[in-house]
Amino acid sequence: MKKTESIPTVTEGTKSVPQPASQWRRILSFRNISALYIFIAIFAIFAILTPKTFLSPGTWVLLLDEQTITVLAALAVLIPLNVAVFNLAIGAEVGFAVILVAVLQVNVQLPWPLAVVLALACGALIGTISGLIITRLKIDSFIATLGMSSLLTAGLVLLSGQRQVLGLGEGFRDFATGGIPLGGTFKITWPVIIMLAVAFVLWYVMEKTPLGRRMYAAGFNPDGARLSGVNVSRLQIGSLVAGGMVAALAGTLLASRINAGDPTVGPNLLLPALTAVFLGSTQFKGGRFNVWGTVVSVYVLAVGVKGLQLLGATDWVENAFNGLALLGAVALSRWERTSKRTAAIKRATTFGRKARAELAEQQAADDPDRAPKA
Amino acid sequence: MAASNEPLLRVTGMVKEFPGLRALDDVSLEVGAGEIVAVVGHNGSGKSTLVKILAGVYTKDAGEVEFPASTPQEQTELHIIHQDLGLAVQLNAIENLGIPKYRGLRESLSPSPVKREKEKARALISRFGEPFDVTVPVGTLSPAQRSIIAIARALDGWQHPRNILILDEPTEALHASEVRVLFEAVKKLAAEGAGIIFISHRLDEVLELADRIVVLRDGKKVADDARSTIDHERLVELVTGVEAGEAETGRTDRTHGEVVLDVAGLWGEVLDGIDLTIHAGEVVGVAGVLGSGREALPAMVFGELLAAADEFTLSGEPYERRRPGESIRRGMAFVPGDRAKYGSIRDFTARENMTLPSMQAVTNAAFSVNVRQEKALAQELIAKYDVKPARPEQIFKQFSGGNQQKIVFAKWLRNKPQVLLLEEPTQGVDIGAKQALYEAIDDAAAQGAAVLVCSSEAKELVRLCDRVLVLRDGRVAADLHGEDLTETRLVLEGYGLAEGHHGESEGEQ
Repeated sequence: MKKTESIPTVTEGTKSVPQPASQWRRILSFRNISALYIFIAIFAIFAILTPKTFLSPGTWVLLLDEQTITVLAALAVLIPLNVAVFNLAIGAEVGFAVILVAVLQVNVQLPWPLAVVLALACGALIGTISGLIITRLKIDSFIATLGMSSLLTAGLVLLSGQRQVLGLGEGFRDFATGGIPLGGTFKITWPVIIMLAVAFVLWYVMEKTPLGRRMYAAGFNPDGARLSGVNVSRLQIGSLVAGGMVAALAGTLLASRINAGDPTVGPNLLLPALTAVFLGSTQFKGGRFNVWGTVVSVYVLAVGVKGLQLLGATDWVENAFNGLALLGAVALSRWERTSKRTAAIKRATTFGRKARAELAEQQAADDPDRAPKA
Repeated sequence: MAASNEPLLRVTGMVKEFPGLRALDDVSLEVGAGEIVAVVGHNGSGKSTLVKILAGVYTKDAGEVEFPASTPQEQTELHIIHQDLGLAVQLNAIENLGIPKYRGLRESLSPSPVKREKEKARALISRFGEPFDVTVPVGTLSPAQRSIIAIARALDGWQHPRNILILDEPTEALHASEVRVLFEAVKKLAAEGAGIIFISHRLDEVLELADRIVVLRDGKKVADDARSTIDHERLVELVTGVEAGEAETGRTDRTHGEVVLDVAGLWGEVLDGIDLTIHAGEVVGVAGVLGSGREALPAMVFGELLAAADEFTLSGEPYERRRPGESIRRGMAFVPGDRAKYGSIRDFTARENMTLPSMQAVTNAAFSVNVRQEKALAQELIAKYDVKPARPEQIFKQFSGGNQQKIVFAKWLRNKPQVLLLEEPTQGVDIGAKQALYEAIDDAAAQGAAVLVCSSEAKELVRLCDRVLVLRDGRVAADLHGEDLTETRLVLEGYGLAEGHHGESEGEQ
């Protein structure tokens, strides 16, 4: 009953040597990598239920390729979110790039590489404008990017006329469908390679460099970071620019894959991207938004959805699964973090109540007049 | 009617301990009907702890609170008006007075009887003098009018006048004429039989209003006397605990170098033309009551708050467009008063906090942070400033207040700043850590830093400083050093009560 969590005190001057065993336990704990455990569980369940289709390599190669756009969109949300800036315009940004890269090729007759570069530049420009709105006009990022999203959607409709833009340039289709052959009909597609490269660069910048440290600082406490010499506004603008470019990259890849400028595909990415980022924040880094958590989350969600689809579930299952997984994972990590403390406090208060009661009894015995009447 | 000679409130032997600090030590207090009792004392004397215990914010460790005059027919109630009043500034007086009390769905949805509510609000307020517009948002009213709304709200629902009203620093935001309005209201209440506890550190107001004065110092009650037996000088002695004439004086043992920071005519939101010169190795203090501009000065020098200056030179070079990042590059360091909000990243580890302001030293050729080197540095700093527990990987918010502040100090002193700006450097810090922090400041000065210390603790300023500027209403009211730099003088100058200023300041307030 009285046993409480003892806080290890380092009284002697020796350096506290981290014990490898406990470190591994922490790293492999459910709280730290719940998504991977969920992944294993999903994998096992579907491998048993639909072994033929679920375990075929074709499914997996396809899945890997299919989700790259979502991963890129999620990373585009993650970058500004790390400096406490919400980017709700992500779907519109991707959609705008889809249309822009198509229109530049079809209506302006530009060669496709130039169109891609211009689309990326436009993504950067959109990010700059959002950043300036947020930092200079001091408009909350939620509202600013929501407004931006509306404007981009309007631009998207204006450019496309609500119709698919068809007849894209020669070779553009290879941008998303080509890749390094693995033998047979399988290949690692360019989008997969691009996605991994982007993720790697972001991971390096965020986790390894002083820039990344400053980004996290600005995300946790903008005022404190500024007083420590971090130029928070510049980081916010910069992160939106980087995010805008990644979003535009996702848009061009998406246009290439469907081989058309489709005005409807981009906006659907907002919710999956946000879901993955928040789910990812519960992984690996204990509450910090992070790159690999986000990447893994996208794939865990996709595998779950894919398995259910193979079982014959219909359209509604994707959203239902994503929603449940997000709520479940975040609730679990929250619960695990607070349950220990709650238990300790409960113990302490019951103990305290008992002590008070004993004290009162003692007082009553010592001095009957002064005992509390209650 | 209860026996009228019984006091309304009796506090006996109140004790409250915080880790490393006895905030209240055997404090007893009585308030009778119709009596105005002032509780005075410095910051940290235990005034606010007392109020918070009475309010139920803190639980007492020992002692009793009784209402001897309370009977089943006439229960004594206790109402507290906190310093920030707790009004909703966007709502009008009627709403703030809580007059619209709707019960159930039908009443909530039917149109409100505006006229009746307005009259009721007027009636409540007019007890305290001139009525005012009750339909405008209270944020647009004057501070005194807001105080009156708060009092009226506390009084609304009193079944009888013989209750306790506690006013915690009610005059902080008021002008002199408004203080009169408030005092009239309070006196009227007392005349009706209420017991008033008036918490303040403005000694002249206390002397004007109170019937009896209770002085707290370091958690102990040092005086509980009738107003008529205490004069101004005696009250200052009681509050500061220093007999006139035998006080500790400012530091004179330091050797100063070149001028490092030279500011002329610094002007900003609350400052109105401040001149400030600090030499290498010199520690200059800034004193003044809340609102005097004391708390804004370091942030303005650092470039966090917008301020203009006629002249601003740092190490002989003009420095015009001040920004925190640029200030750090030029060798400034700023320890803000609120460490959780401004002084640190609470969710970072101690190590990450310590290296944040300048990471060049721990960055390698591949633009990445060399974590091993960083850890070694953090370990070294932790040993040097005796942070406990000595774990660089512990999250900042899990350290105790004193150790958090040590980490903040380590973070800035690591770079050997030329100018060290400190705001309330030992706020919420236990005695042991306080001493360590003082030594760190002495050490920084000895190594040639120009140090600016803003503090509300007179004792601390006398302990640390060669010279202290006392601010009042955004201007330098006094520049004390050597013999003149005593706790008593600091307090007197801060309130504008020093000899020669007395009449002037009364007229001004």
